[in-house]
Amino acid sequence: MITLENVSKIYPPDVHGLRDISVTIDPGEFVSIVGQSGAGKTTLARLLIAEERPTRGKIEIGGWDITRIRSRQIPELRRQVGVVFQDFKLLPKKTVWENVAFALEVAGAPTKRIRDVTPQVLKIVGLEEKGQRFPHQLSGGEQQRVVIARALVHRPKILLADEPTGNLDTINTRDIIDLLLKINAFGTTIVLVTHNREVVNALRRRVITLANGQVAADHKEGKYLLPS
Amino acid sequence: MPIATTTGRVISYAWKNFARNAWIGLATVFVLVLALLSVNVLVGVSAMMDRAVTILEDKVDISVFFKQGTPDAILQQAQFFMAGLPQVANVTLNTPEQALEAFKQLHATDPKIMEALAELDQNPLGASLVIKGKHPDDYPFLLEALKNPQFGFAIESKTYDDHADAISRVRDIGNSGRLFGAILVAVFAIFSAMIVYNAIRVAIYTQREEIGVMRLVGASSSFVRMPFVVEGLFIALLALLISAGIVAGIVAGIQPQLVQFFDGADPGLRAFFVGNFWQLLAAEGGTLAVLVTVSSWAAVGKYLKR
Repeated sequence: MITLENVSKIYPPDVHGLRDISVTIDPGEFVSIVGQSGAGKTTLARLLIAEERPTRGKIEIGGWDITRIRSRQIPELRRQVGVVFQDFKLLPKKTVWENVAFALEVAGAPTKRIRDVTPQVLKIVGLEEKGQRFPHQLSGGEQQRVVIARALVHRPKILLADEPTGNLDTINTRDIIDLLLKINAFGTTIVLVTHNREVVNALRRRVITLANGQVAADHKEGKYLLPS
Repeated sequence: MPIATTTGRVISYAWKNFARNAWIGLATVFVLVLALLSVNVLVGVSAMMDRAVTILEDKVDISVFFKQGTPDAILQQAQFFMAGLPQVANVTLNTPEQALEAFKQLHATDPKIMEALAELDQNPLGASLVIKGKHPDDYPFLLEALKNPQFGFAIESKTYDDHADAISRVRDIGNSGRLFGAILVAVFAIFSAMIVYNAIRVAIYTQREEIGVMRLVGASSSFVRMPFVVEGLFIALLALLISAGIVAGIVAGIQPQLVQFFDGADPGLRAFFVGNFWQLLAAEGGTLAVLVTVSSWAAVGKYLKR
């Protein structure tokens, strides 16, 4: 469960990223967080992976108060919260297999586990045949699937996807959303940060709408309410 | 986290980092080699200066010439008395016959002296004592001790060449050299630290993307840091090996010239480096290791902030 209690984020001197937000996300939910530029979506995403600390309020992930997280505990959090970004963040000199295995290597996973898990997650994202290709040899959608595979290797309870379809065409967008739904069906909580109206409306899942750093709407089977 | 696996990965990443930034690494090695060479020149010169002082100090002695016909009992009493002083390293008594023999050998190639000597019907030389003190500062005391009334009356003359000026000059040169060398080493140490720090920073800058991904997927700070520290240690080790090779080559090359310069005496340079090899290796290697570790650790720190 993810719980945000009266969370505010103020950037000096007095720019409000988030204003007194309180939200609860249950395990296994698929939640879209929408809002226009500057609404606070990315700030919220950064707070959830402890890349920033809230100015006020409390954030708990699975009962773990990450507001007071220590620097040395952050790697543990990042293994529990998989992250997918719009700009992929793949290593261009590593193959697909190496990019995915890298996440396990740096976490100190035994070699045998890396050999077992990497093909499994590549199969989940449908790239088992392209393990030896380099990122530049893949389409945008395929690259994003590699990123998702990399985020899954630690079997995270939560997958945070910050504008994962921002650089993709309609077909690849559909593929990625289907993949996220598939992962969600396995029980992983998905937090999708997006401003893609079609995606949100097609999902028919919970939608939290942010505006000016505040929760403007929170609907169980919501739609994209904001003007284009 | 299994230590062997993690260590293997850290070393593997460090080696890849080094290979990717080979030119920066080699430039850093070059500067560290210069720094190490300056240290070794300093300690080598210092060792030679000490050796020169020792050689000069060894040459200091007092020669005491006794009057002709001085009884053996007096000579032996003088030898016994002087040898018993704690300031004396050794005393050699030369009989008149030994003195004459030594004189003949010394002037064997000079026919005029040999002819003049042959014309004399008796040995013109008396007995002599050669006294070596333990320390150059002891000689004034030993000269006073020779005034002992039990044998002082039998002394015809004394020669004392203290080489004081030469010893003082060598010491001054040594001290100046050490001071200049220490400044040089300090300057090189500061430059080396700055260059190592910046080389690691450049290496990190080229790999900031990889560091970002490592952090993103849950690598610990120490796992991100360690490859850069180990890379610094690779650089330090390479610099140490190269400078050791250069020093060994230079010492072997200049030793014969130095022997000539030291008038046939061993200048002690090779003996110094061979005798102190492990101490020097530990001191220089240890300092270098600390230098690169601290530099690398600090340089990576900037990229580990959340």
